[in-house]
Amino acid sequence: MTRPRPGSDGRLLSADGLTAQRGGRDVVRDVSLELRAGEVVALLGPNGAGKSTLLDALSGVLVPSAGTVERHGRVAVALQTPDLARRSVLTNVTLGLSWWGVPREEREPRARAALGVLGADHLADRSALALSGGERRRVHLARAMAVRADILMLDEPFAGLDPESRASLLEDAVSALHSKTRATLVVVHDRAEAWALADRLLVLIDGRLVASGPPRDLLESPPTAQVARFLGFDGSLEQGGETLLTRPPHVALDPTGPLEARVTRAIGLEDGVRLELELDRGRLYTVAALPAPQPGDTVRVRVRGGARFASVAQEL
Amino acid sequence: MKFLWEELRSAFPLIYQGNPYLLNVLWVTIRVAAISTVAAIVIGLPIGVTIGLGRFRGRRALQVFANASLGLPPVIAGLVLFLLFVPQGPLGSLQLVFTLKAVYIAQTVLALPYIVALTAAAIQGLPPGLLAQARVLGAGRGQLCVLALREAKVGVIAAVIAALGSTLSEVGAVVIVGGNVQGYDQTLASSVLQQVDSASYAGAIAIGLILMALILALLGVLTVLQQRQGGIGLRFRTPT
Repeated sequence: MTRPRPGSDGRLLSADGLTAQRGGRDVVRDVSLELRAGEVVALLGPNGAGKSTLLDALSGVLVPSAGTVERHGRVAVALQTPDLARRSVLTNVTLGLSWWGVPREEREPRARAALGVLGADHLADRSALALSGGERRRVHLARAMAVRADILMLDEPFAGLDPESRASLLEDAVSALHSKTRATLVVVHDRAEAWALADRLLVLIDGRLVASGPPRDLLESPPTAQVARFLGFDGSLEQGGETLLTRPPHVALDPTGPLEARVTRAIGLEDGVRLELELDRGRLYTVAALPAPQPGDTVRVRVRGGARFASVAQEL
Repeated sequence: MKFLWEELRSAFPLIYQGNPYLLNVLWVTIRVAAISTVAAIVIGLPIGVTIGLGRFRGRRALQVFANASLGLPPVIAGLVLFLLFVPQGPLGSLQLVFTLKAVYIAQTVLALPYIVALTAAAIQGLPPGLLAQARVLGAGRGQLCVLALREAKVGVIAAVIAALGSTLSEVGAVVIVGGNVQGYDQTLASSVLQQVDSASYAGAIAIGLILMALILALLGVLTVLQQRQGGIGLRFRTPT
């Protein structure tokens, strides 16, 4: 079997003006994007943004109502629900390889290798019925990775896991997902997962692709106030006809700071307190170390960084 | 009570002395059950899998029909087949009425709804993500069917158990289309009817016991097959 060659400049998938429907309603609208060999791209968006629908349309599961998708290679998808056959873990992964069309003699070594990469090789002989949620996710991912697709798409691979299992799987997935020859698209719901995994971030809001770029670049200069809000810029301050949007790390309590604020809410966190600060021209949020000011206290504040927008009120 | 005890005592020698009449009826019953159940499986499994996996127009109507057929009274099925098979009927030229072939057909018709309806329901009860995942990883139609049947094994074997139970114990249709001809197409269940009619209660009891033993043995084997590797092997510890 000849391996399909990537398009020019390593493109493995390109979508142009893609519109996809669910139940007769446009859920994804006019999306254009590219996936290149060697990159891991995170697709991030709020609930109902159309992430899974976009993934279905890109993978070919759903026929788009408008636009085109060009794929240079085979696409493997790991769906959101990690349902496994009532058989051993190893058989589940080899089954995936048989569906993919891998010759019989190659299946077991490839299945064991994929399980090993995801730290699940010790589960190989265990019944899939006896796995924990985190283990099921690992096997589910291994099944999709074992086929060695040119384009790998994962739909919320960490959904429904407790924080410990998620952190552990995320740690293993970071190295497992990077491959020089494969393009990987991961639908995530949590920003922390996107920062950990992705070389590039796509932000989908209300069915439209509203931002694309390396995670750090998007955090430093979000293209719109809507994207900034979604990326966690929850503070807002009116300054000189502009709106400054901030994330908690941009705001620091400083006795010599230029701004005066009143603490209106304090929520305890594992390593400090999240403070809501009310100012004359806005509301900011920060995380302070203990002992922290109490609601009603007046504090001095310094803002470093943030993103400025001309007319946030109209845009939001 | 004395009457029952005496009939029971007379029944046991008929069983362990290897009465040729009983052996013949037992053999006919096993043949009818085996052939009809296998025929129902061969015809019904593909239909059940198609209904269970399919996303085609009319699937729901097919399922309603299959489910409704579970309640088909055997005498009605027998009557319809009889009217089809009699010399004046549309299939009269086949000369099937009062033959063993007619009994096979009647039992297959009665077993088929169990295979179709219960297989379809078992497949529909599978986690949808597994079949969808197989589809997106490129599984062909045959691979999907095999996966669905394996995963729905408990339900599918339940369908076979129900079908086999029906072929072993059904009387009405067999008597109507086969004529209940002694030594030819008479089954254990239909011969009980004849024994009771001729007031041979010891014979009826002996046949009844053989029939019950046969049902227990065959369905017991199927149940063991059904439950093998069916669970996660949890053991409940008794409190000490």
